[in-house]
Parts: sequence; structure tokens; C-alpha cells
Amino acid sequence: MSATRVRVEAKGLSHRYGHRRTHIHELAFAFDGPGAVAVTGPNGSGKSTLLRIMAGLLRASAGTFELQVEGVSLKPGARRLALGLATPELSFYEEFSATENLVFAAQAHGLAAPAAAAAAALERVGLSPRANDLVAAYSSGMKQRLRLAFAMLHEPAVLLLDEPGSHLDDAGRAVVRSVVEHQASRGLVFIATNDPLERALAPREVSLDPAAREVTHA
Amino acid sequence: MIWRIGIFLWIAVTMTVALLFAPLVPVLHETTRVLYFHIPAAWVTVVALGWSMLQSALYLWKRDLKYDDHAAAAAELGLIFCVAATVSGSLWAKAMWGSYWNWDPRETSIFFILLLYGAYLALRASIEGDEKRARLSAVYSLVAFVAVPPLMFIVPRIYSTLHPDPIINPQGKIDMDPLIRECFFSMLIGFTFLFAWLQKLRVRVARLERRFAAEV
Amino acid sequence: MLKVWAILMKECRSEWRTRYGLNAAILFAVTSLTAVTFAAGRIPDRPDILAALLWLTLLFAALSSMSHAFVREMEGRTMLLLRLVASPTEIAVGKLCFNLLFLVVVEAVTIPLFLLLTGAPSVRWSAFLGILGLGTVSLAASSTLVGAVIAQTRSRGALFAGVSLPLLLPVLAAGVAGTLAQWEGSEIAPYVKLLTAYAVALLGMSLLLYDHLWED
Repeated sequence: MSATRVRVEAKGLSHRYGHRRTHIHELAFAFDGPGAVAVTGPNGSGKSTLLRIMAGLLRASAGTFELQVEGVSLKPGARRLALGLATPELSFYEEFSATENLVFAAQAHGLAAPAAAAAAALERVGLSPRANDLVAAYSSGMKQRLRLAFAMLHEPAVLLLDEPGSHLDDAGRAVVRSVVEHQASRGLVFIATNDPLERALAPREVSLDPAAREVTHA
Repeated sequence: MIWRIGIFLWIAVTMTVALLFAPLVPVLHETTRVLYFHIPAAWVTVVALGWSMLQSALYLWKRDLKYDDHAAAAAELGLIFCVAATVSGSLWAKAMWGSYWNWDPRETSIFFILLLYGAYLALRASIEGDEKRARLSAVYSLVAFVAVPPLMFIVPRIYSTLHPDPIINPQGKIDMDPLIRECFFSMLIGFTFLFAWLQKLRVRVARLERRFAAEV
Repeated sequence: MLKVWAILMKECRSEWRTRYGLNAAILFAVTSLTAVTFAAGRIPDRPDILAALLWLTLLFAALSSMSHAFVREMEGRTMLLLRLVASPTEIAVGKLCFNLLFLVVVEAVTIPLFLLLTGAPSVRWSAFLGILGLGTVSLAASSTLVGAVIAQTRSRGALFAGVSLPLLLPVLAAGVAGTLAQWEGSEIAPYVKLLTAYAVALLGMSLLLYDHLWED
């Protein structure tokens, strides 16, 4: 698979809730794909917030976040197809099967072959045998796999994974590893985690630790 | 301080002249006097509504919380003036028309604004987070703006009204006794400055509250 | 457009599987209809009361059920999924189409029953359905925007009726007057114009505001 030329850059990125706590303060980083980047920091340091800003769900209080695909800078409204986000906050329609959820997502994304994309994504996370079960009947580990499938459904240039290993067994963690390795070879993947094993999947790092506010480039 | 004294003197002097020296309008008799309070209050109600909606639009455009402070303050003050206009109008209606409330189109309009202010402030109170509150209440305020022209101008034209038209009558002329007119416009100016002064205070308080919340 | 269609189909399928909203809405409409017709009796000679009762029934049926479209997304925490696959405007337009369809189904059940139970005089179908249709568009547009705002407040559904009402007063006024005119055989053009202008203004303003609905 050919790699997508992708670059992300944050300048002076800040976010605060209300006016009480500063969540993210003057964050700056730049990464060129392909590759994997770990987003680290203690609980409450703003890892999820950073991924939400990158995914275009949250408006930063100050600063800019830029996403370039094949040399073209994408406007916030045009980024959905270039970004995939898997976060524990993501839920699916319980009255639909996994396939129906993903086919809907693929249609709403405007993909050419929704059914094929959904089947391929489910295959990659090992959910094919249970693809037609209602999500209501899924265990929390299966829901986590479904989140991974949803995030890479549209083969995004940038994959954002928030705590990807939560609720997963060993086989599930192997799925995370293969998803990260695959994405790192063709685009960028950001992994927000405090798990040493997941941390080890990414050679580069954005640290949100308030004690050591700095960015490490590999 | 200078503003406070100035506005107080202006309104006090005008009110004295209006109540003691200005003549009465033939049809309205003694109820003429409500003119100097009721119409300025209704005027400020509408000005505050317009100001609040304008500031809401500016917030969505510029995303600066100071516009939201203005929108919220104008809505709070507008509600107070709206209650004043509604109550004084209702008392006047009892004296002139024989009942406190009979869904005259003017009464409908002012009641609509009352509901609108109430809904807007209730909505504000139930949203957490400064930015979110500012954004969602601005969205509501702007969509509510769509309902203003029909209820203020069109519906009162469809249904006939008994309400006197002392300022904007169908002929577009002002036919008032000169002294009544001077007192009336003087009160209009007085109330407008009263609103502007209160608005400035309320916005300052909102800003201080936010700074205080940030420091603790 | 295909994305809006995908969202509309998703809504329909979800509603078909669960039937949360539709069952409740139709049950509520029929209940209030029964209560109203039972209390008022058969009043074929009072078209003014009939017109008011008809619109009140529709208004309350809408107010009691229309907020669920977004509240359910918030409670099922599926709003995030929607926002990751479609723009705010696409989501809102999809929901608007669904709300419109939903109201049409509720009306298809309610209105024949209403006409039957009250012994209403025969209607002029084109005029009757025209006014009903225009009112329904406004009802759906207002409910979609207010529903999206309300779903993000602390109280979720509780504020929906109160916050919607100011937006729906023009629809109520023109809808009742138009329906009455239709029964009395008088001119309905002014009401059709007012309802059309209002629906267009509401939709236009909504389209401008949809992009500001979700940002956190």
C-alpha cells in the first residue's frame, strides 16, 4: 500500500474549560508521516482534549492546528475523511448490528462502497463472525474493537487512538498493534496512552506532562 | 457617579413637569399620565431585545465572551423593563378598556417578548460552561429573532387593535400637545440613558464575576 | 445530499426498530384528542373553537415528542459518531427531514380522527392541507433547532416546550386563523403568505446557525 504524504502541525495550542483550569497550554509540535506518535501525560493532563481538538470536535481556545495531506492544508470542515478517531467516549447505535453501524458511517462519509468498507474494517479487528449481532449484545471488549474498526473504516491519513487497549484481551491488544503498525506504514497514527506496551509502539512523543512541558522529536 | 446623578435629575425633573404641568389628552383623560412611564419602558424593552440579539450575532461571529456578557445583561434588564411595561399597560387597560387583559394585539406582542426573555434566560441557566452557554444561547436568540417581525408588526396589523398610536400612527404624524411631546421625548431619552447605565454596570459585574471565578 | 439521505434512513430504521418516539407521540396525540373532544363534545357549529383545538392538539403532540431526536443521541452517546462522519449542517438537515416525516405520520393519524370525533364541517382540502403543511414545516424546523440546543443543556427535554413556544406563536396564530378562514369560506391568502414567509425565514436562519450547534 502506498503511503500518504501527511503532516500535522500545532502552534501555540491552548484549551481551557471555563476559566478555571488550563487544560492544554501553548502546545507546539510538528510531525511528518508516515509513523506513529505517542501522546503521553498523567490523567487530566489533556490527552483526550488534544485528540478532540485534532479531530475537529472541539474548538481550541487559542492557537492553530494544521493538517496537510499531499501538501494541501485541509480546512476544519473538510477533515472528517482524513481523520479517524477511536475514543472510549464513542458509542454505537445499540439497536443496529455492527455492520449496520459501519455501513451507515461509511454512507455518511460518502464512501463509494460502504458495505465492502464495513466488511473489511470488521475483518481487520476480528469481528467478522459477530458482524450481524446487535451492538446491544456486544461485550465491552467487542465494542472497543468496533471503535477501532469505525476509526479506520475510511482509511484516514491520520488515525487518532485514545486509550486503544482499554477493555481488550491479549488477542485484542494484538489487533491494536497490527492496526498501529499498518497505519504507521501509510500515514500518521497518534496513540494517547499511559500503557508502557502501547507507548513502545510509537518512536515519537508529545508529552502533556505539566511537570515537563516539552515536545520530543525523534 | 456623575451618570447616576444626571439620570436621576433628568427623570425626576421631567416626571414633575409631566405630572404637574402637561395637559391631558381628551380621550385618555387622567390616564394620559401613564404615557410618560409605559411607553419609555416598552421602548427600552424593544431596544434591549434588539441589543441582545445584535450582541448574540457578534458573539457567534467574533467568539469573544464580552459580547455574550452584553447579550445576557440586555436580556436581564429587558425582562425588568418588559414587566414594568406590561404591568403599567395592564393597569391602564383596566382603566380604559375595563379589563386587565384581553389579548389585544399589543398585549400579545409584549407578552411574546416576555416569554422570549423568560425562555432565553431559562435556557442560559441550564447550560454549563461559559463558551457553550454563550454559543447555544446566541443560536437560540438569533432563531427567535425570526419570530419578532410577525409578532411585533404583522399580527397586530391583521387583527385590529384598540391600542392608541401616539407615536407611530397610520398617518405617520405626531399630533401631540407640545408640552406633552417634550415631556414624553425627554422621558424616552431618560429611560434610554438609564438602560445604558444599568447595562454598563451589569456587564462590568459579569466581567468581575468571571475574573473572580478564574482566581479561586 | 447523499449524506443527508443516509442520516434520514438511519433515523427511520432506528425509529422502526425501537418505535420509542412514534408510539409515544401518537399515543399522546390520540389521548389529548380524546380528552379535548370528550370535554368539548361535538361542536360542528363552532369552527373557531375547532380550529383552536386542532392546532393545540398538534402543537402539544409536537412539543411532547419532537425533542427526542437529539436527546436520544445524547443519552445513547452516539452524537460523537454522527459528528465524526457528517458536518453539523448535514446532521441537522437529516434530522429536520426525519422530524418532518415524523410529524406527517402523527398528523395522518390525528387529523382524520379529529375531524371524525368533533363532527367538524367538511373542509376545503387544498386550503386545509396547504395551511397544515406550511405549519408543519415551521413546526419541524423550530423543533430541530431548539431540540439540538436543548439536548445539550442540563435539563435535556424539560425546557423544550417553554423554549419552543415563542418560536411557534406565529405558527399558532396564523394556523388557527387560516384554518378558521378555510371553514368560513373567507380569504386564506394572507395566512398562507404569513405561514410561507415564516417557514422560509425559519429554515433560512436555521441553515445559517446549524454550523454553530456542536463544538465541544
